[in-house]
Amino acid sequence: MKVRVDPERCQGHTLCAMRAPKVFELSEIDGHSSVIEEEVPDDQQDQVVEAVRSCPERAIFVS
Amino acid sequence: MTTDDDVDGRKKHTVHFDRHSPEYRDQFTDITHELQSKCPIAWSETHGGHWVASGNREVFELARAAEFISNDHDVEGERRGYQGISIPPPSKDRGQARGGFLEMDPPEQRHYRQALNPYLSPAAISRWIPVIDEVVRAAIDEKIEDGRIDFVDDLANIVPAVLTLAMMGIPLKDWTVYNEPAHASVYTPPNSPDMKRVAEMARNMGMGLAMAIADIRANPRPGLVDALIHADINGSTPPDGELLGVLALLIGGGFDTTTALTAHALEWLGENPAERDRLSRERDTLLDSATEEFLRFYTPAPGDGRTFSADCEIAGTQFKEGERLWLSWAMANRDPSVFPDPDTIHLERPANRHSSFGLGIHRCIGSNVARTVFKRMVTAVFDRMPDYRCDPEGTVHYETIGVIQGMRHLPATFTPGPRLGAGLDETLEKLQRVCDEQRIAEPVTVRKTKAQITT
Repeated sequence: MKVRVDPERCQGHTLCAMRAPKVFELSEIDGHSSVIEEEVPDDQQDQVVEAVRSCPERAIFVS
Repeated sequence: MTTDDDVDGRKKHTVHFDRHSPEYRDQFTDITHELQSKCPIAWSETHGGHWVASGNREVFELARAAEFISNDHDVEGERRGYQGISIPPPSKDRGQARGGFLEMDPPEQRHYRQALNPYLSPAAISRWIPVIDEVVRAAIDEKIEDGRIDFVDDLANIVPAVLTLAMMGIPLKDWTVYNEPAHASVYTPPNSPDMKRVAEMARNMGMGLAMAIADIRANPRPGLVDALIHADINGSTPPDGELLGVLALLIGGGFDTTTALTAHALEWLGENPAERDRLSRERDTLLDSATEEFLRFYTPAPGDGRTFSADCEIAGTQFKEGERLWLSWAMANRDPSVFPDPDTIHLERPANRHSSFGLGIHRCIGSNVARTVFKRMVTAVFDRMPDYRCDPEGTVHYETIGVIQGMRHLPATFTPGPRLGAGLDETLEKLQRVCDEQRIAEPVTVRKTKAQITT
């Protein structure tokens, strides 16, 4: 599973980092999210799917 | 000549919608589900005529259509005369003022946010946790020996107010100056006879803020006020009138909303003691999702107005330039197509993509403050008054929820306990020294470490 955050859509709601803190990191300056590693470890896939479903801006995509 | 499209069907779903009426609060659930099932985008003739978006998909698409909707409040009539985010706009005798960058469009809106973000990011807010905890501790200490507290007056009003001022760079003890006007200006409906008094208080608050600007200009100290004085907004620093609107926005956003969330959550947890005990016990895994669920269910800021800036078609409805729109975050948060069993609180609710902080480019800039302050207050209550019981007789909700869905009083009793430290006034004096000496109100780009509090 690969994951990415669309920086145009992300508005810094921070829910993804609550759900999957090992996968998403938040900008120190504005709290907007980016992925630490595009490839999702097996033991993080459920958390990433939950992050996708929790994002208010629908800014996270998995493939 | 045929009839115009308003009669032919563009506004075929016409409803009577008045969110400022007490009935809207009393019948919120029924009104929400009726609108969502029959007309998730409806036209209402109330307050000068406006669209009402209540469906989750519709609110999502409209809120994010920044190219077609405007937040602009053109108070001086210099642009297109748009009326900002309040429907109806504030009456003239309250003194029309632009509501800071929430009533602006990009690029100015973006420039303001860029100036303030480094003070409000998750990393910036985590530096304040020791300060928050000290204010919470002192506020609870004032009541812990009595076995009685009003969670609104004695806790949830105090902590967000003190922290907001600390972040702004305004003296902490001034929280009492801003507290009453900040809350009264939102719980007083526009047609209330009390509005004159409230408007007077709002003017006094404006004068206090003007003095704070002058003082920080003369004696610079770090914080949001300093950031705004020096902000680069389209190549120049903002004029004082505009600064006042921004500071009033920060106070309005910082004070009443977190109070409202905390009071409602404590009320519900008091009515559901088994859930309260479970949340306290399992806070390490449950507190994040429970916080989002309280945000979804109670939606402290229930919606925002917009103006269409161009003719457009969104979510299957045609809109015309200049028409007004109410985006109901509160109703979108109860849409069963996104939230199963939407009118019940489930502390562990998954996929909780609520819109309580808004959606799109105007996402609440203080969302990280709100969550942090809420969590520190609620867990301190769990630890120090775990058996509290609220008194329904003394509980006072806002009569209307047109602006904020809040509470004026939430008295409770509990088994008394020991004080842990100094009272509130002495604690605020100490924390003022901490703020001044450690310059915690600097942006996170300048100061990264947490506040240190020594006894």
